[in-house]
Amino acid sequence: MIGSLGLLVGVFLLLILMAVATKGWMGARQLQEPPSGPIEGEVTEPCPKEFVSMVFSRSDWEFVHGLKSRGVERLFEQERKKVALVWIRQTSALVRKAVSEHAFAARQSKNLDFLKEINILAQFLILITSCWILTIAIQTAGPVWLSGLASYAQRLSQQVSNLQGAFQAGVLANANEKGAM
Amino acid sequence: METSDKGLTVERAYDDLLRRSLASISGDLAKLIYLASTRDYNTGKYHHDGLAARFKTDIACQALEQAHRQIFYRIAGRSLEELVGEVDLYVNSSRQNRDEVIQVWQKLEPYRVALPVNVDVVVARLFVSNVKLALAILRKRLGRQEIRALAS
Repeated sequence: MIGSLGLLVGVFLLLILMAVATKGWMGARQLQEPPSGPIEGEVTEPCPKEFVSMVFSRSDWEFVHGLKSRGVERLFEQERKKVALVWIRQTSALVRKAVSEHAFAARQSKNLDFLKEINILAQFLILITSCWILTIAIQTAGPVWLSGLASYAQRLSQQVSNLQGAFQAGVLANANEKGAM
Repeated sequence: METSDKGLTVERAYDDLLRRSLASISGDLAKLIYLASTRDYNTGKYHHDGLAARFKTDIACQALEQAHRQIFYRIAGRSLEELVGEVDLYVNSSRQNRDEVIQVWQKLEPYRVALPVNVDVVVARLFVSNVKLALAILRKRLGRQEIRALAS
């Protein structure tokens, strides 16, 4: 009886500790990612792909590594991580914006294609999950250390563009449909 | 029709700016700093007396804005190694002591003010980050040169 009570108290304390640690980690993450200040406005289109590949490319890392300075290497890793996380935030914001615009248009539409809507929802979930996984991967390993991440990032960027295009086409079709009625 | 005429005039003002003012400035970073300095901090409008005299004030403003944006994207697309060269060129062209200029740039980060408005946030962040790295690399090189000079 005393043993199981002790176990329960132990589990309870462990849960509180985990909650405190998670809160602290989240707070630290917010501190590590300062807002980009006046340059961060409303996102309307994805970052040009040549710049996305620059963020994830290894060529700048090879140049830095050749300088044989641990201090500069560390600074490079920190800086590239920050830029990559800004890109992830931008991509997530674009996906959410595209979906909310589509949802707004869908609410006004009278003949919704159920399968098409399910497909859009699936695409949205995949993209948001990808952003989430990439955030963890970047925070853990850094952008230049993940082989294939650059091409995956490129594809993700392209998918967001396609999603935006598809949603805009859907919005236009719905608007025309409404106008015709 | 009027819009296309205005567009052509902006293009002419832009070419004029490239040929006269910008051609005499060596290095894209120096050009970027120069173009940013023609922008009013309060209004965000660009002004250039010579260009405004040859064209209209609003045409000159648009040409300067266009040039600023183009130079920015060009320099932001450079590799880190190329950017180190650009920062080095800029620091060397200054009449001040190299080490002093690098230190002040590291402390005040004046390159942040050189960003045009409404540029992609990732590109802006990448540029700021690369200049910061370029300055750290130049400082390191300078330190090594001093050690070598003391040793010899």
